Formats: sequence, structure tokens, C-alpha cells
Amino acid sequence: MSYKPELTGRWWLKHGHFKRYMLREATVIPLVFLLCSLLAGVFSLQDVERFSQWQAYMAHPLVIIGHTVALGAALYHAATFFVLFPRVMPIRIANYTLPARLMVAGQWAAVLAVALLCLWLVTGGRV
Amino acid sequence: MQQHEYDVVVVGGGGAGLRAAIAAAQASDGNSRIALLSKVYPMRSHTVAAEGGAAAVTRDDDSLQAHFEDTVAGGDWLAEQGVVDYFVKHAHRELVQMEHWGCPWSRQPNGNVQVRRFGGMKTERTWFAADKTGFHMLHTLYQTALQFDAITRFDEYFVLDIGVAEDGDEREVTGVLALDIKTGALHCIRAGAVIMATGGAGRVFKFNTNGGIVTGDGMAIAYRNGVPLRDMEFVQYHPTGLPGSGILITEASRGEGGVLVNKDGYRYLQDYELGPETPLGKPQNKYMELGPRDKLSQAFWHEQQRGRTGKHGTSDVVYLDLRHLGKAFLEERLPFICELAKAYVNVDPVHEPIPIRPAVHYTMGGILTDAQCETPIQGLFAAGECASVGLHGANRLGSNSLTELLVFGRLAGEQAWQRANARRNTPAKSDDMTAKTQYWQQRISAMQQNPKHAAVSSWPQLKQDLVATMERGCGIYRDEAGLQQSLNDIHELKVAYQRMHVADSSRGYNTDLLQAIELGFSLDVAEATCLAALERRESRGAHQRLETEYQQRNDEQFLKHSLVRWRDEQPATLEWQRVDTTLSAPKVRAYGEQGNAQASTPNRTQGGKV
Amino acid sequence: MTQPRTCYVDISRYDPERGDQYPTMQRVQVPYDDSTSVLDVLQYVKEQVDSSLSYRWSCRMAICGSCGVMVNGIPKLGCKDFVRDYVAHKGVGRDHAANDAPALTIEPLAHFTGERDLVVNMDEFLTHLEAVKPYIIDPASRPNNPSAATHSQTPAQLARYQQFANCINCGLCYAACPQFGLNPEFVGPAAIALAHRYNLDSRDHGKHERMQVLNTHDGVWSCTFVGFCSDVCPKGVDPAAAVNQGKVESAKSMLIQLFKGSSIGDSRS
Ligand SMILES: Cc1cc2nc3c(=O)[nH]c(=O)nc-3n(C[C@H](O)[C@H](O)[C@H](O)COP(=O)(O)OP(=O)(O)OC[C@H]3O[C@@H](n4cnc5c(N)ncnc54)[C@H](O)[C@@H]3O)c2cc1C
Ligand code: SF4
Ligand code: FES
Repeated sequence: MSYKPELTGRWWLKHGHFKRYMLREATVIPLVFLLCSLLAGVFSLQDVERFSQWQAYMAHPLVIIGHTVALGAALYHAATFFVLFPRVMPIRIANYTLPARLMVAGQWAAVLAVALLCLWLVTGGRV
Repeated sequence: MQQHEYDVVVVGGGGAGLRAAIAAAQASDGNSRIALLSKVYPMRSHTVAAEGGAAAVTRDDDSLQAHFEDTVAGGDWLAEQGVVDYFVKHAHRELVQMEHWGCPWSRQPNGNVQVRRFGGMKTERTWFAADKTGFHMLHTLYQTALQFDAITRFDEYFVLDIGVAEDGDEREVTGVLALDIKTGALHCIRAGAVIMATGGAGRVFKFNTNGGIVTGDGMAIAYRNGVPLRDMEFVQYHPTGLPGSGILITEASRGEGGVLVNKDGYRYLQDYELGPETPLGKPQNKYMELGPRDKLSQAFWHEQQRGRTGKHGTSDVVYLDLRHLGKAFLEERLPFICELAKAYVNVDPVHEPIPIRPAVHYTMGGILTDAQCETPIQGLFAAGECASVGLHGANRLGSNSLTELLVFGRLAGEQAWQRANARRNTPAKSDDMTAKTQYWQQRISAMQQNPKHAAVSSWPQLKQDLVATMERGCGIYRDEAGLQQSLNDIHELKVAYQRMHVADSSRGYNTDLLQAIELGFSLDVAEATCLAALERRESRGAHQRLETEYQQRNDEQFLKHSLVRWRDEQPATLEWQRVDTTLSAPKVRAYGEQGNAQASTPNRTQGGKV
Repeated sequence: MTQPRTCYVDISRYDPERGDQYPTMQRVQVPYDDSTSVLDVLQYVKEQVDSSLSYRWSCRMAICGSCGVMVNGIPKLGCKDFVRDYVAHKGVGRDHAANDAPALTIEPLAHFTGERDLVVNMDEFLTHLEAVKPYIIDPASRPNNPSAATHSQTPAQLARYQQFANCINCGLCYAACPQFGLNPEFVGPAAIALAHRYNLDSRDHGKHERMQVLNTHDGVWSCTFVGFCSDVCPKGVDPAAAVNQGKVESAKSMLIQLFKGSSIGDSRS
């Protein structure tokens, strides 16, 4: 005397919020690709020839595109995650709750700091 | 037909019903079976809409005597004084009990409970949980009730009638007859005691602050079974409802410093014996905006007559100005008011005054009970807004009724358990339950079978006519001709009701049928209201007559409760009942400067101490 | 205020007693003005067009939680959702009904069992709510002791849980949660928010008991932080925050358990 609506596999196509959520979850795919590339690089270190093969692989336009997508995905994931963070772990000092905006800004500052550190390492401290 | 056996049946899952069920469970130490029936899930009950707060003497500079006097004077000496006395003495402990159950009362910086000002109260004594007091109280009670295994909930069960056993002059309740909304099946739930906690009847009027479920069912059920309805002519108009919907803007917004102005921006209340004008941002108890509701609503009526009201849509309105309170304060103290004003009249109170007008809000009268909440039918109790235990007299003070739900809900629960326990081992008496079941089965199928073409109308039409005639004839100011007209209209509507057709013939979730049945209850309640208003030829509290000779309070003739009795197909009849004034003799009821002058003259109380 | 305007509305109808297997849409033309809510539309249909339409409502002021429905696929409170916001934005059905594309489609709350028309089985929600012991648990409290004083609770202590105490049990967040749609055993956003409300209350000592429910797979760990529940919540409760704060608590309690070897849920902090 009643019906139970079934959720089909395409439930997430129903509206924007779910699509954005799926996109967030899907960021894992390019990131896995990037991780595989990097792992391959680590293994190629055993052998000069394989290392140069790996270098060629890394320079391939498709691979570069893939890794750029991964960077984008990482930033998108970070953006979505950072706004969630203050809601998951609100920081209270005495009776004062740290405003969410401040926490989001703080996290981006940390990203910037790490990026600068990497840049410094890569360029051998020349900047 | 399903049968159930319980010790106590509670009808209504609002504040009063839940408090009663918990009290009965506690009084029996869990050794009882309590059924809690409600036509909606308990947290949907209209207690949820109460905004302002609950009163109890709290501060050191306050006294029980003061709360007593405010309540008795507020009710224009028509309150049962022994009942008021019991109430003020038990109010505080009930609010503390709510605190222990987790109610999120607003607090002072030191961690103590905060109290606010309320209209007609001498000092700050109203506990509140932001501006959602009823909501928090109701959810606290519902959640607390979950702990009690003794309580079985029957959510979405619609009570149609009670069973009564007659033994000579003795009449005893034997249970209730209910319709399971989900399936449409009738259930007979027998019990040693029944508590009616079905709330008010504000929906009998067109323009009101009440939810759609507030249709006076419990009152009508008790009334049809021979219990008189008492003081039904006293219907409270709240001065500040939103135009169009009637949604309430709490009195607390005035308690916190909001002011009322007419279309010229003039604080008109000073023209109606509520002045002198209090400085902006310095509200003073019992002056101006903090006068009692009846006086404020009446002042609106006069402004309207003088053409000094503004327009919002098709409604005449005055304005509630909160702007001087500032954004931060409004967001802390009155967040819900800001939300409501923005959604329903598209006004941001931070920047604009809110258009408002009076709306029917509260039924002071109800099912006659004694001081222990028991009706003349043994074992049948009533508590909350549906009951007339005698607390409010001719006018209720805001924030007394949420406390009433607790004080008298608990009392009713305990008394009902005692009654049920005493009857536990007595043999069941033969009652009228079978006859009533048959009656309702026939009635329901008749409504569904009435041929469409022969039927004069459907319930939406009849309902519209009812609320319109009540608004016209039984409003803020009343006179003989208008009341008589409304009474005649109601009699006609009752005839038409017999021939009404309900189109929906399904059993499950038949809201068409339920609204039709509710209309039947409302018609009876409306008749009682009109009759009592017609017969009370004086002005007292919320009941104001326009005729010159009836414009004053007339203690000689009318210091009495009205009791209206149902006479089946015949018109209802009225009789008068003595009022208990032993603790404080009637005085002039005055507010503003006049009230102040009166308070400084020696107390003329004759009848002893409080 | 100006000329009455009308628009078309599609309403989901379902009555198993008439042999319906699945809901069908009924198209109705309704008048509206700037203040017409979705609930007003339903009321109009019931009183003027077809009195057999079933839906729940009471307060019509967004506080009783009865009137949740899907409007154009998004969970909404019927009494706090306005026709004006659809006709203006969508450009359909504006001013006149000549364009008979419906401006609004009103359906029962998603993920719940449909009972009739817009009425769904709310017990599916309340069972979860009741399972988390949403009441003050205080072994020291003496029941019904009237003389006892109130607890002290500062405004800051109140502020910690106040937001989570504002839930009106409307169930919109369940209709927004795909995890609840996929797994009806998931305790769900509002129930976890309510558990969290009591866990954060300075007067309560029942966190341990509530964590037993929250620690399980059907507790906080079913949540993948879709976050839509908080978007649709009409009362700003932010149940997603509560659920994920619950995950932090749950992780803590599991870690402690790992080290101490005690039972799950021992997270008294
Ligand atoms: C908008 C508003 C604001 C208010 N603000 C305040 C305030 O600030 N302070 C204050 O003190 N008072 C206030 N009041 C008054 C106060 O809230 C009410 O008087 C009180 O809540 C009534 O509670 P109750 O338990 O008697 O009834 P309700 O809460 O109305 O509950 C009635 C119950 O009975 C059930 N019921 C009814 N008929 C049937 C039936 N036929 N079968 C089965 N069940 C049935 C319903 O389902 C419901 O559960 C306010 C009232 C309104 C309308
Ligand atoms: S958390 Fe929000 S959406 Fe969910 S039931 Fe409560 S009020 Fe409704
Ligand atoms: S009718 Fe109460 S929330 Fe909409």
C-alpha cells in the first residue's frame, strides 16, 4: 500500500550540487594518474636508460595535459575541502570561535607556503 | 475494529499532553500503560509556534503575590483565585524541571537563566529560549518522553469521541474512539482515565495566529458529551500578527523595546490610557507597548475607525518599529522574527518597520474542570489551552500559558494516574462505546455518500462562511445585532453541515474527511463562543461590547463564569457559575499612569492573604 | 496587488486504494501573487480544485516541520518556498498561463516511502531520531526533584550546541542525502545532529551511550560529505557539520579503544 522510490545509478545527475560532489570525488582519478607517473619515475631511477625513457614520457603533451588536470583537480579538491574544514573542526579559543573565513584563508596561506618551498627546492634556492 | 487497553489515555501531543504523559509515567513509577494520541506527530503541535516565553517568579525583587495580582487583574477578576495561587506557586519548579530535561533557556553571562519583560507583568519574570520558546519546550518534552517505556505513542491518530458509562447521576469516562489516519481504521482505546490536551480553537476565526490543526476538537468532544464549555466568549486578539497570513510577531519584540506607531509614525497607544509615552529603547512594564493584549488590540480598532492605520495589501495595519534596537541585538534576541518578517512580508526589521494587525490568538475558555483538572465526567481530565481550569479569567497574560501547560499538564497526569489506578481492579462498566462507534461509522459513510448534486456544499465553503461570520460578529468589539446574526449563521451552517459531501472516498490519509470532521467540531465551539458573547452584556477583559450601556464591567451581574451546554440538535443553552474571588476582591483594572496611581493606594483586598 | 497572475503547477498524485502502482502528475492552473507559498498553492488546489489531495501541514510559519516536499527536485518547506521565486527566475508561466509549461513540480520528499500524494512515511525518519537517545542523560539527576536549582550554563556553553538544537525534524536533509537514499539504515543527518547537540550540552553525560550508535557503519561512517543536507536545511542547522564533527569524535573514540582495548564508543573526553 505504498511505494519505495529506488535510487538509480544515475541519481547524481539530478542536479548541480550532486554533480559538483561527484566531480570532487572524481578528482581522485587524475591524482592517481599523477601518482603512478611519479612512482614510475622512482622505479626508473635504477637504470639510466629507463630514466631517460621516463623523462620522454613525462614530456609527452598528453601526459603534461594529464598532470595539469591533476593540478587543477588538486586545487578544486583543496577548495572544496578547505571550506568544509571549519565546519568539521571548529576552533574555539576560550569563548571565541575562529571565523570560518579566517580558517579558509589560513589553509590557502599554508598551500602558498608549501608551493613556495617546492619552488625554492626545485630551483635550488636561487629564488 | 481494534481494541486496546490502557491505564491512561492522553489526547494531544502538545506541551500539555506530553507533560501529562510524563507525569503519569513518573507517578506510577513506570508501572502503568499510557497511550499518547495525537492527530499530528507531537513536535508538530502548535505549542511549537510559541515564541515569547514562560512566566515564573524568579528574581529576588519579585514575589508570588505580584505574579498572582498581575494574573488576576490581567484576567479582570474572572480567574479562579485558588487556581492562580496554585499556579504561581508551582510555576518556577516546572521551569527548573524543564531546565533539567535540557531545555536551552537563554542565559545571563554568569550562567543563570535570563528573564525578560512581558505585557501585563509587573517585573521581568518570563523565561525564554531565544524567540522560539515553545519550539524548544515542545522538542525537549517530546525527546524526554522517549525515555519512558510506559508511554506508547499513537502518532497520527485522530480522536473522534470518548466513551462514557452512566450510573445514575455518576458519569465515568471509559476510553476514546480514534481513527488511524494512515489506514482509516477505527480504534477503541479503553482506559481508566482520559486527559484532553487538544489545544485551542483559534481556527474558528478567519484571521489568526494558530496552526491549521487548532480547530477545537477536544473542546467539542467533551462538550458533546455533556461537559459545559466555560468562558468561551473570551477570545484573545494578539495585537501583532502579520497581515495576510496572521503569523505571530511575538510580544517579546515589544518587551525588548519595539514600539507601535500608526501611519503617521505616532505612538498612538498614549491616546488609550496606556501612556505617558515611554522613551525609545526604555520599555516600562505595563506602560504603552507593554500594556495587556486586549487593550492594545482595542487601540488598533480605534485607530482604524479614525482612519489612522496604513495599508498592506488589503489589510489595515499599524507598524512595529524595531529599527532602533540595531542589527546585532535583533539577531541575538529576535532571530526568528527577522526571518519571519523577511519571508512573509518581505520586510527586514533592521531597516523597516513591520506592518502588523491584531489576530485571534488564544481561547481563554474551554472545557470546564475543577482545580484538579477533572471535568464533571469522572476520570475525564483536561489541561492546556483546551481546558478552562480558571487561570486566565477574561484575558490571559502572555507567557502564562506555556507555564500552564507544565503546571496543569503535570497535575492532570498525576491525578489521572491516581484515578486510573483506583479503577484498575473494578469491573468494567457497560458504556456507550459500541453505539458511538456505530454512530461514527454511519456518519463518515454518510458524508462520503451524500450525493454531490443534492448536497448544498462542501466543507471549504462552509468553513469560509464560518470564519467570516465569526470575524464579523465576534471580533474585537461586539454588539447584540452582530452576535445574533453570527449565531443565526452558525445555526444555518450546522444544518448545511448535515448535508455536506466529502468527495474523497479512500480510507488512508483522507485529509478531506478529517477537515470535514474538524469543521463539525469548530461549528459547535463557535456556537458556544457566540452564545456566551451574546449573553455577557458587559465589557470585561477581551470581551468588549459596543453598546453604551454595556461598555463597562458590571460586577453586580456578570462577575460570573459563563457555562454553555450542548443540546444536540437544539440550540445550546447558557448558565452562570460563581467565581472564586476570596483572595483578591475586584478592583478597577488599569495600566499605564492610572495603573500606577492605583497601585500606590492601599490595597482594598478583603479576603485574606495570598 | 496587481492583476491576479496564474501559472501551472504539476503535483504528484498517488493513491494505492485507487490502484495506483506509481505516482502520476496532475497539472493545475493556480493564481499567485508575491506572497503565495507552495503551501498556499496546495491549499488552493485542495479547497478549489480537488479536495482529495493529501499533504501535511500545520503552522504555515516554518516551525512545525510538517510540510516538506520536493519542489523542482529540491527538498523544500512548502510554507517557506514562494512561487515568486520560480516564475521570475525561470521565465516560465509568467504573467499568464498561456505558456503551460509548469513553473513548479511538487513531489513527495525523496528517499522516503510514499504513502499517498505528498504524504511519506515519516516513521522511517523518527525511528532514527529516537535511536540516538536524544535527551539529557545524567546519572546524578534525581528525577522530578523540584527543589533542585538550575544548572549553570554560560551563553558560550549554550552557543556550542544551540545551532544543532534548532532542528524542526522536517526531514528535508534525508531527502537530500543520497547515502540515506541508498541505505535506509543510515542514521542520517538530523538524528546525528541531534545526538551531537546533546553530546555538546554541558549538562549531559550520555555521550558514551550515543557514540555506540554513531560509531557504527550506519552511524557517521555512512556519510561521504556530499553536504547537500546542509544546503537544503531551512533552519541553518548544518547537519553535515554535525555528522563530520561526529566522525572526528568517533575516530578519537576508536583510537582510544585501540590503545586501551576497551569497548567501542568509550570516548568520554
Ligand atoms: C503563535 C503563538 C505564539 C504563542 N506564544 C506564547 C508565548 O510566548 N507564551 C505563552 O505562554 N503562550 C504562548 N502561546 C500560547 C500557547 O503556545 C498555547 O496556548 C499552548 O502551546 C497550547 O498547548 P496545548 O498543549 O494545550 O495544545 P497544542 O500544542 O495545540 O497541542 C494540541 C495537541 O492536540 C492534538 N489534537 C488536537 N485535536 C486532536 C484530535 N481530534 N485527535 C487527536 N489529537 C488531537 C494535536 O495533534 C496536538 O498534538 C502562543 C500561541 C501561539 C498560537
Ligand atoms: S537538520 Fe535541518 S533539514 Fe534536517 S530535519 Fe532538521 S531542520 Fe530539517
Ligand atoms: S506548515 Fe509548519 S513547517 Fe510548513
